[in-house]
Amino acid sequence: MQSSRAGRRRLPGSVGDALIGLATIAVLLALWEIAVQAGALNDYYFPPPSKLARSLVTLTTTGFPRGVTVFSHIGATLMRILLGYALATVIAIPLGLVIGSNDRLYQAVNPIIIFARSVATISLLPLAVAWFGVGEISRVFLIAYGCSWIILTNTIHGVRVVDPRLLRAAEVLGTSRRDMFYRVVLPASLPRIFAGMKVALGLAFLVIVAVEMIGTVEGLGALIMEARTFYRTDTTIVGMVIISLFGFLLSKFLDRAERALLPWAAGLEEVER
Amino acid sequence: MTDTATPRIVIDHVTKEFVSREGERALALADVSFNVGANEFVSIVGRSGCGKTTLLNMVAGLLKPSSGRVLVNNRPVEKPGPDRGMVFQQAALFPWLTAIDNIEFGPRNQGVPKAERRRQAQALIELVRLSGFENKYPHELSGGMQQRVAIARALATDPEILLMDEPFGALDELTRSQMQDELLRIWEASRKTVLLVTHSIFEALFLSDRIIILSPHPGRLRKEVKVDLPRPRQRTSKEFLEYYEEVHNAIF
Amino acid sequence: MKTSAFGRNLWLSWIGVIALVVVWQVIVALQVINPRIFPGPIQVLETALTRVPVDELFGHLRASLLRVASGFALGAVLGITVGIATGWYRRLGKVVWAPLELLRPIPPLAWIPLALIWFGLGEESKVFIIFLSAFFPIVTNTYKGMIQTDPVLLRAAQTLGLDGLRLLARVAVPAALPDIATGLRIGWSLSFGSLVAAEILAAREGLGFLVMRGREIGEVGLIVYAIILIGILNLVTDHLFYEFVLKRRLRWHFSS
Repeated sequence: MQSSRAGRRRLPGSVGDALIGLATIAVLLALWEIAVQAGALNDYYFPPPSKLARSLVTLTTTGFPRGVTVFSHIGATLMRILLGYALATVIAIPLGLVIGSNDRLYQAVNPIIIFARSVATISLLPLAVAWFGVGEISRVFLIAYGCSWIILTNTIHGVRVVDPRLLRAAEVLGTSRRDMFYRVVLPASLPRIFAGMKVALGLAFLVIVAVEMIGTVEGLGALIMEARTFYRTDTTIVGMVIISLFGFLLSKFLDRAERALLPWAAGLEEVER
Repeated sequence: MTDTATPRIVIDHVTKEFVSREGERALALADVSFNVGANEFVSIVGRSGCGKTTLLNMVAGLLKPSSGRVLVNNRPVEKPGPDRGMVFQQAALFPWLTAIDNIEFGPRNQGVPKAERRRQAQALIELVRLSGFENKYPHELSGGMQQRVAIARALATDPEILLMDEPFGALDELTRSQMQDELLRIWEASRKTVLLVTHSIFEALFLSDRIIILSPHPGRLRKEVKVDLPRPRQRTSKEFLEYYEEVHNAIF
Repeated sequence: MKTSAFGRNLWLSWIGVIALVVVWQVIVALQVINPRIFPGPIQVLETALTRVPVDELFGHLRASLLRVASGFALGAVLGITVGIATGWYRRLGKVVWAPLELLRPIPPLAWIPLALIWFGLGEESKVFIIFLSAFFPIVTNTYKGMIQTDPVLLRAAQTLGLDGLRLLARVAVPAALPDIATGLRIGWSLSFGSLVAAEILAAREGLGFLVMRGREIGEVGLIVYAIILIGILNLVTDHLFYEFVLKRRLRWHFSS
């Protein structure tokens, strides 16, 4: 059966394209500024770039709210992500390896996993608060919860779809069962596991920003929520831009890490349900 | 309609240069000239890099020459059109359409009414011997079958010229041999002008009236060989093998 | 016709689910954790049936589904349109994707404060958030589908006499449909996630509202009940989409 997908091109990208992109954004910003100055756009609902720049300066120096600079916010968010993520990895990967290796076990728990994954993590916030209060634990718990299911699913899938030809080849070479797992199955599943970790980190970021909007004043999500409470649209937007950059850098970092650690299999897409 | 005396396709001192994104220039074809007469079956053979696919694409109208002219029925080729049907190496069937819908694709675009389209397409299905498979999707068909649909699809717009770019290159040898027999039968039934690009000297010898041999880097006309054997040709006859030697020596 | 392997799998799956529920009930019965904050399955059902009469439940379901549907529809229409346009007209694509790439990494929920400023506490702000959740995956996947169309398909269509908008409509878009469908599926799922958060913030009915109500009156059972409902709704709608749209219409891509 011939594949009609033979010869797909990669996404375009070159210096010229980047320049066009930057130019477009610059033009849009300029138009925005002019529109506000001319009175066509309300500067409360659409604070112009000049106002945004000033707000950014404040964020880095005196901070918003008073005393909390943008660096503290980023630090707080990062810390929560890292803790929750580490927790998820430590639990989900070993569990996933076990479940993936045992078909009966997989059949038994699979529906549960599918269901748990369908429950949007953020909807569990009130539950987490009821259990752990409004402190850090509930936030870290939510990150860990959301990431665990993704990493788990991908780890299981990674183990289950190890190319049977690899296993046969190893068998023919006389590999022991123990070695089979550690030297064949594990490395072969790594690309998929890593794909899951990439998506999980993306989710962690999504969840934490939402979760921080309630019950705390430190963190990127808290920043934009607080700003809104005080009618500071400019700070809200600056916060969102910082969040955007943060998210972007996070995914670039992961791409780099993947290329460095798994050079032979970069670019695998996440498993669909 | 044009008479059969004027050549169907004229390649007149065609040169083609490609410029890559980084600005590197590559000369694909250098001053190639030859004609293809009406109802002739002509093959282009040559090693990789001789520009044969580029040449075919120019007759199709998918590329323009850097200098020189490509004429079809004495008029320069401007853009692709249903008068020059094309068959690709990868079949390129539309995966969301059934075999018969693929075949009807061209006529549908030309505004042929539904009943008529269906009738013509059904006749073509029978011509390529795929009766019973017309409602299958491409992914349900084997490579050889897909190519048959591709040929039927190209023939559906009743083109004067059939352009084929290594149509059997992706098939295994046995299927390939079978498809060559099929192609010959279809050509003799429809008498189109055919320009075929192939890597296989055997294939070219089995099918063509004439063989154009190009040498690579850049593509230049090396030799024209007229194959004066009656059809169907014996792939193992003495004459066949003599021609093979002649072509082979011209290439290597 | 079920094969014995399938029968065995189904059996195991049910065992797994039942085992989970039993373990849950046992943990609760042992009173390891305060039953007020960790109710057992029986308690959840009890709460559900008493606190939320069936007709009221339908009201909440309807409100939630309506919100998701409208936000999603907006996101889909705009997303597919922009995706196709930018994928087909490359210059337009370069210009439009610059600001889009900047906005894409922003989590939809991070737009909540801005949405509240712009639209206030009404329906618009919720629908806006859901719209954003659907828009980005849909436009991204549509765009990807368009630019990754196998060029030989376009060439084949050209030799059959197609050009311009006809080429776009009859070849490029159908070829991109699998990716568009994937985008729609992801967009729907993300919309659900955002729905709950949006409703938690400010709503007078809906499943997210039920979650908040459970929190306010201290009935954890209600919270759990609403959350499970959300999960089921998400699963069911996704399964329906998969079965009826992807498998039937796009058989040629998804069944192999």
